[in-house]
Amino acid sequence: MAYLEMQSIYKSFNQVPVLKDVTLELQQGEIHALIGENGAGKSTLMNILGGVHQPDKGLIKLNGQAVEMTSPKKSQEYGISFIHQELNLVSDLRVYENMFLGSEIRNKFGFVNVEEMCRQTTDILTKLGVHINPKEYVRNLGTSYKQLIEISRALLHKSKIIIMDEPTTALSDHEIDRLFDLMRNLKEDCISIIYISHKLKEIKSVCDRLTVLRDGKTVKTGDLESETLDSITHDMVGKSLSEDRMIEHEELGSTVLKVEDLSSPEQFKSINFEIKKGEIVGFTGLAGDGRTELFESLFGYRKNYKGDIYVNGKHVIIDHPKKALKAGIGYVPKDRKENAIIQDLNVIQNMSISSLSHFEKNGFIKGKLEQKKFTYYKDQLNIKVHNPRVTIDKLSGGNQQKVIIAKWLELNTDIIIFDNPTQGIDVGAKQEIYQQIIRLAQQGKAVIVLSSEALEIMKICHSVYVMYQGEISGYFKGEDATEDKIMSYATGSKKEAVPVG
Amino acid sequence: MAEPQMKDDQSVETKSNRFKNGLNWLWSDYSVVIAFIIIFIAASLMSPRFLDINNLMNILMQVSIIGIIALGMTVVMLSGGIDLSVGSVLALVGVLTVTALNATGSVVLAVLSALIAGPLIGLLNGLMIAKGRIAAFIATLGMMAGARSIALYIADGGSISGEVQSFSLISNSELGIVDYPIIIFLIMTAFVYVLMHKTRFGRYVYAIGSNEKSARLSAINVEKMKLSIYSLAGLMVSVAAIIETSRLNSISSSSSGQLYELDAIAAVIIGGTRMTGGRGKIIGTFFGVLILGILNNMMNLMNVSTHLQGFVKGLIIIIAVVFQKRE
Repeated sequence: MAYLEMQSIYKSFNQVPVLKDVTLELQQGEIHALIGENGAGKSTLMNILGGVHQPDKGLIKLNGQAVEMTSPKKSQEYGISFIHQELNLVSDLRVYENMFLGSEIRNKFGFVNVEEMCRQTTDILTKLGVHINPKEYVRNLGTSYKQLIEISRALLHKSKIIIMDEPTTALSDHEIDRLFDLMRNLKEDCISIIYISHKLKEIKSVCDRLTVLRDGKTVKTGDLESETLDSITHDMVGKSLSEDRMIEHEELGSTVLKVEDLSSPEQFKSINFEIKKGEIVGFTGLAGDGRTELFESLFGYRKNYKGDIYVNGKHVIIDHPKKALKAGIGYVPKDRKENAIIQDLNVIQNMSISSLSHFEKNGFIKGKLEQKKFTYYKDQLNIKVHNPRVTIDKLSGGNQQKVIIAKWLELNTDIIIFDNPTQGIDVGAKQEIYQQIIRLAQQGKAVIVLSSEALEIMKICHSVYVMYQGEISGYFKGEDATEDKIMSYATGSKKEAVPVG
Repeated sequence: MAEPQMKDDQSVETKSNRFKNGLNWLWSDYSVVIAFIIIFIAASLMSPRFLDINNLMNILMQVSIIGIIALGMTVVMLSGGIDLSVGSVLALVGVLTVTALNATGSVVLAVLSALIAGPLIGLLNGLMIAKGRIAAFIATLGMMAGARSIALYIADGGSISGEVQSFSLISNSELGIVDYPIIIFLIMTAFVYVLMHKTRFGRYVYAIGSNEKSARLSAINVEKMKLSIYSLAGLMVSVAAIIETSRLNSISSSSSGQLYELDAIAAVIIGGTRMTGGRGKIIGTFFGVLILGILNNMMNLMNVSTHLQGFVKGLIIIIAVVFQKRE
């Protein structure tokens, strides 16, 4: 019998179903891979197990007994530890202080018992085969050690199940080997590990069984031995999902943007590409592939990079978004709430914030002009807003995004970059945004779309670049792109020299 | 698709809902005006002398200096910053103004040097904050200590008086029954109001205070804006310093401007500006200043011990913030 069973889990957010009848079974002392594309529902499922979210329907059984994970604390009491991708350590505290954070050992006077905590910390670390001074500050440790401390903390809490979310993204090969050895040791001690990763090769080498999620459903569960990289990739992306491409092959104009040998330490290296008038170029990859950093640099938000940028054949130096705008580059950022909208300004003001000179007369902003222009975009982009004088955060995600797009349409740049343009947007609005992107290209603009959704890229791009760990690992024409192909370049299982020019 | 329709909930707004929203809007945006009216009525009931026109003018006269400083402070705080140096800078600018006055014998040159010194010191604050990436609190705390010290050094720790009598006319003249400082305060309020609500500058200040990263990604030159913002605050301090100095034709390097930064911040907070920036109104600060003035005046009229006045002021600030939190 399985140690942990999650049976028929259903979960919706805002009436959008995220998990539909998902089942996961975990044996005692196994490493179980949980894989799926971005948005397949992995995080939601693990958040349910971790007590962060409550399922709408379904049953969780631990050791045959039905349990309810009503809070993260409860989940921890049941022996489940969640090691997040962004490690949850306080870097200004010492190792043992982090280990015992929230559960400090105190002596009878109520003071913390440092010796005892250090002793226990050393015990666990030694068991894991590492030697760190428990009084060392966490900020002085490398990422792999930080990960070890998280794992030690899980052991300290006598966890029976450890969830690891993409633990290897920040690790070197050598460190990955050490982590895997450790995971195998834990397995011997009858601890079960749920291992979330996109890196299929690693999964193949360390995991025993797997569960594949796609679109919120379990599509496969079973032993890894009988699987090949190709068969797993195929299960992840499915085949029935492919929708028709929305663009025809079109005649492209002259080169608008050319990037030569762009590099930034630890973000991306040797990036070369060019884009023509009327072309839509897609950049895709997995989380942490460096594409956002690349285009934030190109837009001048990040300054620490080297290389040459040519706009319409002219060499430009971009070290501030203002200069990018002047050179003719526009940028619709990802994470709308943090990077794009200005919450305290109203809808119209968000539309006009970057182009106020269009609405000024004698140095004063003319509200009427702004209003008129907004009405124009409201009709063109089908922005649904009753009163445009409300602050922008009152709008739904899709409408907010359309306002941000209107802001850049008003600036009318030759090149426009969309980073994850359909993040958190419902299907109807998604389609409208695709159409708008295509319309821009037809008007002769050069459009760059960054997205982690392969389908989206295939639908609207003339050509596709795949990035892996800060480098372009693959390039193909939009019509040749398949999800399997994109996935194999994005996971690093394939790599090819990119044709330059 | 059912999805987009559902989210368009603004269209199903009912009449009573709209009325409620209207009230909410009035309350959230202009609660300080309501508070002002209540305090005004209470004051006029409690003391018959309060409504006397001379008393009312007196109140305005007393708040004009803090009022002008608070206008600059509002802009700084709307951008998400703070300026603790205003009181010390007022003393320093005052000392420099009198020195210039006595050296040149020209009122015009004295005023000019004041109007240059303040923004320059503000610019220095801005440079530390925008280019040096020092937290505004720390940078202006340093300036607060530094400016006071230089003022003390120049004036040798004491007061210096102007030797040109006509300089005192600035603060001691009236238009009808309205003193010049009141007129200057009203003009400055109108100026900053227009700047904040009708120009690009104001729009950018709100944007930076609301979300600095979005503002930068909207191609706003955030650094340059911060230089302008702190220079503007410095300019406001200059104007206040001219009035303060001209009142008695003298300035004290040790006591002038003492704790003005706290009164100015208090007025801004009572006026409804959010500490973290992005939200607030010049009109709010205007009424915040008036509320502080009325409270002081009331306590004087009712013979409350001057030692207790700080307690009442503190209470009002805390109550104001508690009410704003409720949103």
